[in-house]
Amino acid sequence: MSQAPSDWEVVIGLEVHVQLRTRAKVFASSPWGFGQEPNAQVDPVVLGLPGTLPVVNREAVEKAVLFGLVVGAEIPERCAWDRKNYFYPDNPKNYQLTQKDFPVVVGGHVEIELPGPSRNVMGEHKSVRIHHAHLEEDVGKLSHAGGGSLVDYNRAGVPLLEIVTEPDLRSAAEAEAFLRSLVAMLTQAGVADCDMEKGQLRCDCNVSVRRRGDARLGTRTETKNLNSISSVRDTVIYEAARQIRELEAGRTITQETRGWNAELARGYVLRDKEDAHDYRYFPDPDIPALRISRETVARLAKQVPENLYDRQRRYVEKLGLPYTAASVLVADRALAEWFEAAVAAHPANPSGVANLVANDLLRDLSAAVPPIPLSACPIRPASLAGLVKLTDEGVISKQQAKEVFAEMFSTGQEAVAIVDAKGLRQNSDTGELEKIIREVVADPSVAKSIAEYRAGNEKAINALKGPIMKRTQGKANPGLVDQLLRRILG
Amino acid sequence: MVDALHELSAVELGRRLASGALTSRALCEALIARHRTLNDKVGAFTHLDEADVLAQADASDARRKAGRGRGPLEGIPVGIKDNVAVKGQPLTCSSKMLAPLVSPYDSHVAERLRASGAILYGRLNMDEFAMGSSTENSAFRKAFNPWDLGRIPGGSSGGSAAALAAGLVPLALGSDTGGSIRQPASHCGVVGLKPTYGLISRFGLVAFASSLDQIGPMARSVEDCALLLDALASADARDMTCFGPSDRAFTPAGDARKLRIGVPKGFLGKGVAPEVAAAVNAAVEFYRSQGCAVSEVELPSADLAVPTYYVVATAEASSNLGRYDGVRYGHRSAVSGTPVEMMTASRSEGFGPEVKRRILLGTFVLSAGYADAYYVRALRARAKIRAEYLAALSGVDVLLTPTVPTPAFKVGEKAADPLQLYLEDVFTIPANLAGLPAISVPCGKSGRLPVGFHLVGAPLSESKLLAAGRLFEDAHGYAHQQAPL
Amino acid sequence: MAEGFDIDHLAKLARLSLTAEEKALFASQLGQILGHFQTLAQADLPASADDARVVDESALRSDEPGPVLGAEAVTRIAPASRDGQISVPRVVDDES
Repeated sequence: MSQAPSDWEVVIGLEVHVQLRTRAKVFASSPWGFGQEPNAQVDPVVLGLPGTLPVVNREAVEKAVLFGLVVGAEIPERCAWDRKNYFYPDNPKNYQLTQKDFPVVVGGHVEIELPGPSRNVMGEHKSVRIHHAHLEEDVGKLSHAGGGSLVDYNRAGVPLLEIVTEPDLRSAAEAEAFLRSLVAMLTQAGVADCDMEKGQLRCDCNVSVRRRGDARLGTRTETKNLNSISSVRDTVIYEAARQIRELEAGRTITQETRGWNAELARGYVLRDKEDAHDYRYFPDPDIPALRISRETVARLAKQVPENLYDRQRRYVEKLGLPYTAASVLVADRALAEWFEAAVAAHPANPSGVANLVANDLLRDLSAAVPPIPLSACPIRPASLAGLVKLTDEGVISKQQAKEVFAEMFSTGQEAVAIVDAKGLRQNSDTGELEKIIREVVADPSVAKSIAEYRAGNEKAINALKGPIMKRTQGKANPGLVDQLLRRILG
Repeated sequence: MVDALHELSAVELGRRLASGALTSRALCEALIARHRTLNDKVGAFTHLDEADVLAQADASDARRKAGRGRGPLEGIPVGIKDNVAVKGQPLTCSSKMLAPLVSPYDSHVAERLRASGAILYGRLNMDEFAMGSSTENSAFRKAFNPWDLGRIPGGSSGGSAAALAAGLVPLALGSDTGGSIRQPASHCGVVGLKPTYGLISRFGLVAFASSLDQIGPMARSVEDCALLLDALASADARDMTCFGPSDRAFTPAGDARKLRIGVPKGFLGKGVAPEVAAAVNAAVEFYRSQGCAVSEVELPSADLAVPTYYVVATAEASSNLGRYDGVRYGHRSAVSGTPVEMMTASRSEGFGPEVKRRILLGTFVLSAGYADAYYVRALRARAKIRAEYLAALSGVDVLLTPTVPTPAFKVGEKAADPLQLYLEDVFTIPANLAGLPAISVPCGKSGRLPVGFHLVGAPLSESKLLAAGRLFEDAHGYAHQQAPL
Repeated sequence: MAEGFDIDHLAKLARLSLTAEEKALFASQLGQILGHFQTLAQADLPASADDARVVDESALRSDEPGPVLGAEAVTRIAPASRDGQISVPRVVDDES
């Protein structure tokens, strides 16, 4: 089931670990990036060699601050790092540098959009509070081979922003919506790439249940290391059902750490890593507290893009776009900006522009082999706008516009040039058209259709349109033909 | 001239090398020969790569010949405590845990010494991971006091002090967390300085207690000590706690007779041996006779210093030594089973008892339910101690005390009582807690055994400490003293 | 012995295995040392540690990738390695 039975409420909080977009690691200067040979991105600091010391990467801090500004959080004047002490082979110093007491970002909220009743109708919006976000280092990667395990430290020291929500989510759908919204905000601000296939975003999911109306929170479990949105969704559903089953059977929920087996579609208890953890947190003595200037915050504030839902609202309310088109356009910042550039060139018909961009342009870009990224789009925004303008002015029909668009896409030429080269300009000369229409109307072969039309059969008029279009080599403006024909027939 | 080269000061060696009267090669050959005769007796060095030293010496002589001499340290050997990383040399910290490790990188100070043309000379014995006051905790060999080979040279920089006192090297690096440069300097009759915290980069110093550790120069005279300090102190972006002096030169500066000396009340009563008290009192009188104003100062929280230190230092150490688990480098046990079993066995085999004791203590004071009562309180006590010292140093220029309450004890005499040993750090510990510069200067003898006095100054007042030390040294005969071996 | 000093628990946390003799010896020695720490427990202390060490952004490092050790050097230092990775005994994350 995807909804809890109505007398139970599911409460979910997420801790999302996001790898920030930097070139070097967070406390060491080694480069990092997916797909390198094992242990090729390791320097003495990363490896934890005796005598090495951490130095904080400015870009990692700024990306974290930028995230805070994106979610409307507070950026405290001072933040500091702590040591979380525990032994594990993927943890080079056997402590992880993290921020326990003074994180870089405090508070904030993320607006989410739930699926609507149908694809074309916008779903409910909700605000999810962020508790805080802190900057820490990632650990190495363990793999298992035969009787042993292998460690690759390339990932050790990669900057992680851990984003912790309040327990504001109430369903798998909300959890999914939250992650989608978060990923959009992170990528649109350039904070992180969030490529989950590369492990750039992982999620720990806290789930508890309670009787509806009960103000207290139930005992929660934490399922760790979920690396896809679908596994988060499935975990919520699974765990909520499991907890409800347990409680209804009169048992209690144990606070435990769990894992998710995607293949078998079930959760399991993670063996406590050799006894309950006492992390013995204390302030890292190698990294002094950091004062973040208000000037830096102001500078980074300028990099905050328009929130995607604000943009969506603006498209629907101010530009009159249908929800579906607006939704598609705002999902990608570059696409939205491309669209806006096109509208700027032809402000009279944003819906028309949106339709071409959200449908035809995207389709053709992705259908190409290999797919073409927007940055390499063969059509410029102003050119697409020009095409819409020609259609709006009646120079060409919508049908012809499709043809022109295809030609623009494959040749990069301007719409006007293609229209002229192909001689596509519609015949909108009223006088000449009227003459042709009268000639066709006078033809005995259509007399029956005329009679039917005058008798009330609307569709009968179409029988006359064929010959008219033929007489004009298909160039007549269909709207004008219809208008004149009806006037002539009376 | 038939001067024994090993008896010359670094300053004098520098002059002779500069004039061409001496080559670095000849100097190093002489020291190596002396090393071969004496090191087994004294146990100062755990390692000396003779071929590497001579190659460095030849390179230095070649540079000088080409007119590219790099300064006053060009061609002069500096012994390196074995917890300071030198690329291509062992970095064992006198521990079995790191016995297999050859450092793949240079510490900041090693880079500075290379840049100054100095010869990086051998690996000096120490208490394991800098934990101890006698060098008896070295996992490889004991070191002995050249003034009485049945006694300890002090620790943890015991090898550095013994090497100087035995004339095995003219300059040495030590490290100091609670007195580990100053106490062995006092026991061996040489000069040792712990700089202001943050003056010398810790990048490449194997961490014991990060907020307390500092590398410092050791030598047989104040002037030599200043020479070495000057080369080491510089900004380093790889250590966020290092601010470096940027443009400061560290020489004895200013008229030391104008210095105001503060003597903490009651400090000469704290279990101080009569000969030590006498020698230190004589030092006080000397300064008074030179025109220095001498006054008594109050340090009411002095009793908190030792417990505060041992809580903070062991807490940080327990975390800093967590990385030694046999996974990435160093000793790995043959016991496998699970990773936990392997790590536990590696650590248990690799660490000696003092290290284990301190790790257990440090783990306890940070553990859930106890961190507030111990670690958090200790940080507050530290702040109080620091405030008292800074307040005292606003009215005087330096505080003067003995360095150690008693002279060097016999090997094995205090092995059973760690607490006793900890309590002897009473004079040196506060400077680490407060991040202040401090120096030990020889001021007398108890029988054959050297006695030192201890000066602490305000942050970045190394020049005053050196000036005060120089003034004393010039009027007494302890500079360049070496044990008759 | 100071209340709460459980040497078995601490040894486990610190990944140390102690012989019976070591446990007895350390427990006794550390008990004495902790007894000495009572002065700390009873002292009148300021309300907070007020660490004056704060740096501004100029102390941070620019995002320039620096030199690496190289996989060969990493595996050379390591006690055991295979195919460029460091090998350890089998890690088990339980499936129940």
